[in-house]
Amino acid sequence: MDQSLLAAMAKAAGLEKALAEFPDDVAAAAQQALDNAGAVKFPTDPRAEPWPPMRAGVGL
Amino acid sequence: MTDLHWLTASEASRAFAAKTLSPVELVQHLLKRTEQLDPKLNAYIRLDADGALDAARTAEKEIAQGRIRGPLHGVPVGVKDIFDVATLPTTCHSHILVDNIAKTDAVSIQKLRQAGAIVMGKLSTHEFALGGPSFDLPFPPARNPWNTAYHPGGSSSGSGAGVCSGLFPVALGSDTGGSVRNPASACGIVGHKPTYGLVSRRGVFPLSFTLDHVGPLTRTVADAAIMLDTLAGHDPEDPGSSATQARHFGRLLDRGVRGLRVGFVRHFHETDMPAHPEVAAGLEEVSRVLQAEGAEVRTVRLPALDEFRGINRVILSSEAWSIHAPWLRDRPGKYGQLARQRLLPGAFVSAGEYIGAQRRRLELIASVEDVLRDVDVLLCASSMDPSCRLDDVPETNRTYPRQARAPFNVTGHPALAMMAGLSSGGLPVSVQFVGRYFDDATVLRVAAAYERATPWHTKHPPIG
Repeated sequence: MDQSLLAAMAKAAGLEKALAEFPDDVAAAAQQALDNAGAVKFPTDPRAEPWPPMRAGVGL
Repeated sequence: MTDLHWLTASEASRAFAAKTLSPVELVQHLLKRTEQLDPKLNAYIRLDADGALDAARTAEKEIAQGRIRGPLHGVPVGVKDIFDVATLPTTCHSHILVDNIAKTDAVSIQKLRQAGAIVMGKLSTHEFALGGPSFDLPFPPARNPWNTAYHPGGSSSGSGAGVCSGLFPVALGSDTGGSVRNPASACGIVGHKPTYGLVSRRGVFPLSFTLDHVGPLTRTVADAAIMLDTLAGHDPEDPGSSATQARHFGRLLDRGVRGLRVGFVRHFHETDMPAHPEVAAGLEEVSRVLQAEGAEVRTVRLPALDEFRGINRVILSSEAWSIHAPWLRDRPGKYGQLARQRLLPGAFVSAGEYIGAQRRRLELIASVEDVLRDVDVLLCASSMDPSCRLDDVPETNRTYPRQARAPFNVTGHPALAMMAGLSSGGLPVSVQFVGRYFDDATVLRVAAAYERATPWHTKHPPIG
């Protein structure tokens, strides 16, 4: 991953300290997140709902 | 009588009722065993000997007066150190929470105490139930009683090691990607992840709200049913808690499997993630045993393991990040390396990816539900490999994700892992049974039939 992009993303997430102290962990995490999302076949049906569904009044 | 430390909860309960054993005698025996064995196992983070003996004396008095509360009255239980136990620290095996004293009991602890169970102490876990076996934490990692150089599985590591080695007959664990069933598989015991929402999570440090489950680790299936009978029930203050009235989880234990339809998910361990040959052979043998007992076993197909794993990781890392972000920002060095590495990816998951994963999750749930309309229970792998050496980091990293447990955290179906043999290296291999929502009783029924037909539950590790 491009280092300047990684730094920008880490700073946006508030991870300046982690980036300074554990740069390899932060870089590996960004790559891991990309790989994880890449393994998901996101639904193509625009009506596909997420789980768990919103249920008004339940669980309150 | 069986050695006291190998008594199951059911056997101990019967001995208490028959007045051939008292809770104080049992607790004293287990404390002595802990003193001898735990330096080799590291199952405990904190042993509460005084609290356990006090509770044992109370139980002894009540039982002597004929006020028996139920099958867990006087029975010692170990507790993973992410559950709040009032007045004891809930450290989550982390420097971050090393002084975090719990003010109240978790709901599951309240229920166990009401049932008369005796809390022995707090048990080793992976850091925040996620990291892995680590040597840079405030407490050492637990070890496998079958061979203390080996990993006992995790993240409920101390629960697995302690039940397996006879430090207590039953324990509590949590399961977000397989953390009850992994130590059950590695240690050769029984680990049950109940249907999502059946057991309250209140008072348990969260890892991933929509994936977290609380469940028991035991040496027998009957004890798992007893624990679930005590733990299950609606909690209006846990938003994920179900209002189901499912109860009496052991009611089918003696029914056998004749006439049941078992769906064998072969592609998980044959093609999706080819298993160690001894694990694959063990699964074939489980299928053969169930058929010999009268079940109809047929091959079924679910979505691929990689799909479930990707969904589990996107959701888990996102939800865990929402919990840990403040600490990861302010004091990342307080985490062990493994936990830090496994928590940071959540910072880089977009909202769209998280919601997209939750949408795909519903489709995967529907796929599993379709299959469970045609069969009563699923049979599949739990771990793809026997346990590896604790100090072999590359092998730990290779084998840790090689499992078929996470799919049922994604879907929330009840799933139980148990011993299905011993490898040539003398380590347990395992099987997993999965059932319909809130039909935990049928999962336990199949597991009990398998248990009766095989000798594995009688095997104990060569640790003393």
